[in-house]
Amino acid sequence: MKNNFYELTYIITPVLEADQFAEVVKKFSDFITANGASIEEMDEWGLKKMSYAMDKKNTGYYVNLYFNGPSDLVAKLERAMAIDDRIMRFLCLKYDAKMLRHRELQKKGEVPSIFKKEEDEVIIDDTDI
Amino acid sequence: MLKNPSHPRKGQLRNKQCPFTKVGIEYIDYKDVNTLNRFTNDQGKILPSRVTGVSAKHQRQLSRAVKRARHLGLLSFVAENLR
Repeated sequence: MKNNFYELTYIITPVLEADQFAEVVKKFSDFITANGASIEEMDEWGLKKMSYAMDKKNTGYYVNLYFNGPSDLVAKLERAMAIDDRIMRFLCLKYDAKMLRHRELQKKGEVPSIFKKEEDEVIIDDTDI
Repeated sequence: MLKNPSHPRKGQLRNKQCPFTKVGIEYIDYKDVNTLNRFTNDQGKILPSRVTGVSAKHQRQLSRAVKRARHLGLLSFVAENLR
């Protein structure tokens, strides 16, 4: 089975206690490792306000992680997430060569900024077209 | 700069360069909300590339990134106060 690099972000419903968040995170981390993948980096963004109400809730507990794993894991993982009521949304992306290069830059903190030098040159227009 | 894209002087402003191509960005990340916000208007709509000067290749990546961010609640579909 070919191993790929994936990124996964998911939102846990906010109506849980703090230790229950950890439990959900652990459940899916274990699920990923149990299926022959290795988690490279995990970042819990914590409770964050969302831009719009999702399932009548205004906040969500965000978890973002990167893992190296077999391709059949993703389908299993997405199914498990869809079934679990505590997961509100998830997004799993396979990384291609360009995205991997971008991630290397991100790790080094060298992603070039678009707006630094030309703050007044790039005009973002609010005209409604 | 001109605000109105149909202004007759628009033809003189054609030398705009794509901000992503300029700094050599290969992938537009959906988590980078600040950047994505610069390419949406106050209603939350994605601005057309003829306004921002983004190249077609990056505009496709940008719209995909914005849509991913919206799915995860990082950006809004419609602005709150306009609803």
